[in-house]
Amino acid sequence: MTELRKTPLHARHVALGAKMVDFGSWDMPLQYAGGIVAEHLATRKTAGLFDVSHMGRFIFRGAGALALLLRALTNNAAALEPGQSQYTIIQNEAGQAIDDAYLYHFDEDEYLLVVNAANRQKDWAYFQSLQPGSAEVDIAEASDEIAMISLQGPLAEEILSSVIDAAHLPKPGRNHLSRACMEGIDVDVARTGYTGEPLCFELFVKNCDAPAIWDILASRGGVPVGLGARDTLRLEASLPLYGHELGTDPEGNEMPIFACPLSRFAVSFAEAKGNFIGKDALVRQHDALGKIQARDYSSLADLPRIVKPLAVLEKAIARQGSKVFDQHGEPIGYVTSGTMVPYWKTPSQGAKTGPSSAHEMRPICLAILDSNIADRTIVQVEVRGKNVNAMTVPYNLRGKTPPYAQAVIYEKENQSTS
Amino acid sequence: MIPQDLKFTKSHEWVRLGEDGLATIGLSEFAVDQLGDIVFLELPAVGYATAKESTFGTIESVKAAVEIYAPLAGEVAEVNDEAADNFDLLAQDPYGKGWLIKIKPAQPADMDSLMSAEEYEKHLQNA
Repeated sequence: MTELRKTPLHARHVALGAKMVDFGSWDMPLQYAGGIVAEHLATRKTAGLFDVSHMGRFIFRGAGALALLLRALTNNAAALEPGQSQYTIIQNEAGQAIDDAYLYHFDEDEYLLVVNAANRQKDWAYFQSLQPGSAEVDIAEASDEIAMISLQGPLAEEILSSVIDAAHLPKPGRNHLSRACMEGIDVDVARTGYTGEPLCFELFVKNCDAPAIWDILASRGGVPVGLGARDTLRLEASLPLYGHELGTDPEGNEMPIFACPLSRFAVSFAEAKGNFIGKDALVRQHDALGKIQARDYSSLADLPRIVKPLAVLEKAIARQGSKVFDQHGEPIGYVTSGTMVPYWKTPSQGAKTGPSSAHEMRPICLAILDSNIADRTIVQVEVRGKNVNAMTVPYNLRGKTPPYAQAVIYEKENQSTS
Repeated sequence: MIPQDLKFTKSHEWVRLGEDGLATIGLSEFAVDQLGDIVFLELPAVGYATAKESTFGTIESVKAAVEIYAPLAGEVAEVNDEAADNFDLLAQDPYGKGWLIKIKPAQPADMDSLMSAEEYEKHLQNA
């Protein structure tokens, strides 16, 4: 049996009594002693601390680096000033996702691409295949030298401000970056994250500095959160996970990039990108999406199905692969991700709306459904042989009133007639 | 410590035969611990006929749905509504208050083919 890989924080997870799992050949914490539910709730009320060092990190340098990124990623890397980052997708010619990723532009001369742990080798091989062979682009594998720690939640800003002076925090607003110093240690800071929390930070440090940074943030109130809650948090925020909302669907078909709603923020047709890989296919998908949003279904063939959040209206847990039907019993798609997630009850009155001390559980999912299914439509989801009612919704969580991201709860009465 | 008076299945259910002739069935501490946060529990109704090694219910954690298997054939006489309302009982007291169902066994002698506590402990070590 080949040994699993360990991040620089492995000893911390074990010392905390974490249940460890094999995640893409990394020995990672699924949950700590408190459990997934407690960790999810802590992130929404105080702050969650995540080891995300298992993800892949590639550094692109050289005169030809920008041109390669403009061609091989869906977003407009040329729009990044130093100190900015963007969500992006590694696409193929057919407009499908090889992986989704985040591109960070800390310095004028280089770009840092963070990719999913499970796809690191595939992505690396892909970029190697694109390189013209000239000396113009240098791609470095930095996954084994740089560690990554995430801090997300209502207290995240407060915690970080207590150890990094205000002038060195990134400008407010998602995607801003900065270079900072925490108790003498160099830290690159990004306002990015995968939880839907409006106050979000991801920190890049040298491997040898990771334990010290973790200890500082934990001692200031960061609650260690494992991969189990990382998944429930991103599901609640309707964020895609490669292999579920991107990549192949439960029927084994490759999903168009625009089937995933977040792709709107990852795909650019700016002139700087020229005739980038997959452009034609993506243009067709994009145009079809525009029509679908205006209830014009004439180009459905270019985008037959779209991923939508569902609120499950009965006490049953739909999971990836569960079949979805319309009110007439016709099959309209599949669940791509689903589980039971906890949420804080918020007081119904009063100007100060934040989490109370009581929580509930609710079943939610993301599902890939026929594009002509409207919002607030009641659908049937097959759970262990039984059909349960669910409703398509625009979102299950809103982070529009920082510092809190709040659950949006739906009752059956809010449906549309279809 | 695994109570020594219990019998076990390979799928981590335990059985205790009471003086009233009813067999109490639950999930072992190992199984409950493996599950993590329990979010859903589906148990059968009174009168349901269990079949040996067939599922009689489902228990779900955040990460997975797991079937619960009947160690014995019989008829469900009681269902633990308290546990259905409060999943914490399973983690707190898996061999006591966290029981799931009580059945009237069709063949009490079937208990003999189940693992003893000692055999179950060995089974866990080998897993």
